[in-house]
Amino acid sequence: MSVLHETAGYLPGLRADEVAWQTLSFEGQGGAVEVAVPVLSEAQIVLLTQRVRSASQSYLKSLTVAQIVDTIDRAIHRLLDPQDPWRRKADSILPRVTGYDAEMVRLGLTGYLKTFRKPQLQRFLAEDFGNPQLLDGFVPRPRGGFSKAFGPDVAVHVWAGNVPGLCLWSLISGLLVKSGSIGKVASAEPLLAGWMAQLLVEIDPKLADCLAVVWWKGGDTAQETVFFKHADLVLAYGGTAALAEVRRQVPVTTRFLPFGHKLSFGLVAASALDARKAPRAAQQAAYDVVRYDQQGCYSPHVFYVARGGKISPDEFSRYLAHELSALQKKYPRRSLSLSEAADLAAWRGAEEIRSLSPGGPQVAGEGDWTVVYNHELQPLAPGALNRTVRVVAVDQIADVMPLLAPHRAFLQTVGVAATPRELFELAEQLGRAGVTRICALGQMTSPEAGWHHDGRCSLLDLVQMVDIDSSAEAAAETLAPYVD
Amino acid sequence: MASSPLIADLLAFLADTHPSDQAFDQQALALFAHQFQHNLPFQRFCQQRGKTLRTVRSWRDIPAVPISAFKALTLSCIPADQAERTFMTSGTTQAEIKGKHHHPSLAVYDASMLRNFRQRFMAGSSERIRMGILFPDETLLPNSSLAHYLALAVREFGTGASHYVLTQQGLDTARVIAELEHAEQTGEPYALLGASYSFVHLLDALQRLGKTFRLPAGSRVLDTGGFKGQSRELSMQDFYAQLSSALGISASDCINMYGMTELSTQFYDDGNAILPSVKSGPHWIRSRVVEPLSGEELPRGQQGILAHCDLANFNSVTTILTEDVGVAVDGGFLLLGRAQGSAAKGCSLAVEEFLQAAAA
Repeated sequence: MSVLHETAGYLPGLRADEVAWQTLSFEGQGGAVEVAVPVLSEAQIVLLTQRVRSASQSYLKSLTVAQIVDTIDRAIHRLLDPQDPWRRKADSILPRVTGYDAEMVRLGLTGYLKTFRKPQLQRFLAEDFGNPQLLDGFVPRPRGGFSKAFGPDVAVHVWAGNVPGLCLWSLISGLLVKSGSIGKVASAEPLLAGWMAQLLVEIDPKLADCLAVVWWKGGDTAQETVFFKHADLVLAYGGTAALAEVRRQVPVTTRFLPFGHKLSFGLVAASALDARKAPRAAQQAAYDVVRYDQQGCYSPHVFYVARGGKISPDEFSRYLAHELSALQKKYPRRSLSLSEAADLAAWRGAEEIRSLSPGGPQVAGEGDWTVVYNHELQPLAPGALNRTVRVVAVDQIADVMPLLAPHRAFLQTVGVAATPRELFELAEQLGRAGVTRICALGQMTSPEAGWHHDGRCSLLDLVQMVDIDSSAEAAAETLAPYVD
Repeated sequence: MASSPLIADLLAFLADTHPSDQAFDQQALALFAHQFQHNLPFQRFCQQRGKTLRTVRSWRDIPAVPISAFKALTLSCIPADQAERTFMTSGTTQAEIKGKHHHPSLAVYDASMLRNFRQRFMAGSSERIRMGILFPDETLLPNSSLAHYLALAVREFGTGASHYVLTQQGLDTARVIAELEHAEQTGEPYALLGASYSFVHLLDALQRLGKTFRLPAGSRVLDTGGFKGQSRELSMQDFYAQLSSALGISASDCINMYGMTELSTQFYDDGNAILPSVKSGPHWIRSRVVEPLSGEELPRGQQGILAHCDLANFNSVTTILTEDVGVAVDGGFLLLGRAQGSAAKGCSLAVEEFLQAAAA
């Protein structure tokens, strides 16, 4: 199998031969790729940030939000076209880089891209701003005065993780608020953001200097400090330790938006557990587990399943095992690194050991997936990822609520199978506990357009509102040349 | 105790200088049968893996028990409360469940340690050496296998002037410096033994005081256990370079011992001038490098997880699956450290981070 060579990043104003490059090697599904990632000098970083700042001020801020939406929509449609060269590149190379099954990447990417078409982007904007014209000009406020939303000139995004496409939303949201963006790609998936930037520039060449995609080795504080010093806003994705490290480098006066690792789980009420509905619920639950091998913030680690239905929690866990086994054939798990395999083996080994004690769990699984069934209440805790899931029997779903309190900061998505009445009752309790998204089983890994990521208004968080007080308006009236 | 003939056999095997492969297998299978019969959690473990007395034909067939089992199960052929000594793993938090290793008699552990230590650290010599111990003594840590190991080292191989330089208050810097000066002045070889992180504390203290030493020939160091977050982390390269320049002894006289509470035998290297150094054990322990999920043995040169079959583990289980990454090479294996967590991949919370948050 031949090794492909790719170049990551997008560096307006810098020639390839001026920049130092480092090679990252990947060996995923379908073959190997060597990716050259740029290593910038301090002077180059300063140059790049100045260039983006100036283009952001002179060009991006002059566009209307509708024009920006159109450009993004055109880019997304290009990527949704299976024949488009950029899309073909993504389909062939991302599985090699991330190791995920090619079909899973293809389906996942398409589903994800669909949430960034024009109507969906408009929904995002309406969700956060009500009237998106707030981004274009001063809009009257109902109680007097005017307001306008100003995006930052330069936002630096620190991306993490290898769920393909994670960086796209970050980049797009920056554009929507007319912010120049410098994105730092993750070593685990350094390519997609750079392609997106190039594609956007292909569609609107004047965007050329408004975006940059860079790389530095995570934790390289020397590089981080320079980038952050020249940013108005820093968005960072990663684990607690990594975020704390990034936060230390961000100047106090620069806004910092951290997106930490999350813990998600599922709830299956007795109402979803009869002979017809339970297999379907298990199938959907399995799909949530399989998608991106549980690497997403929205990926479930545990399913709490109520007793009292026609199908017992124990039987549900067997259905789930069966579905995972079936999905393994359709979407094989990516091959694991030694340390991932060791982690998983240690986790499963410990569960198998527990299963030897009276009252211990049942462990089912082949090499590629594991279902642990506990018939006693278990605290909420992450599994070993990579298709390892715990099913816990509960007398009623409400029993889960007290388990959530210690993990408030980490809670995100809960996949729910329950009646409408139960759904809204649960939603109230889950919301109080810190959960920010409740969705159907099978949809955990596909948040809808306009969702409040980690409970936040993602676009609103990026902007600064500028108010014209009614007093200013009144005072100005007195100074008008036509004042009587 | 029903197993004294078994212990006698085992001690004889340890004393044998050139046992055959067949003899190793024989011992391993005898111990397997004994443990299968008397260690019921182990029996259930074997049955879960489809391993019985009939299907286990060589030491390689004995299922390797994950070390976490020492926490969850009582792996012992005798009732745990009848053990002469129980060693426990060191937990970092109060609440953490500790792994327990029950020893009905320390005769085998001690024989294994002494025979191996004489060979590997004392270079076969029967001359004693003045020792400084960078670890709490056995009265302070009665459940620490390392405390017992070091106590044995002092008792059997240390001169009367050997001593502990770690007190409840921490490193006794004045005492260490006095000892190092004594060695320098008299030319009497000196050995420092203890936890790797305590050596880092010593290095830090010496650096603060701006002191370096040139220990006389024959002096040496034994460190073990890594840094475990108890000191600053440094690369093996830097660790031995700094030890070597602070104490004036060659990195080839710095021996690293690799041992664990769950074993009764230790591994050593022949110095750390070349890194990573090759670790090896005596004839009564054998190691395999395995693929962690399938447990299949990996070819030489390929990285995997270490599994050890330690015949001195007569009462618990002979064969354990560690969480350490290694690679088989000529003359032993390279120890490449603890398997790193998979936290960094996506944005899903991983166990490691979760535990840190829970402990905070």
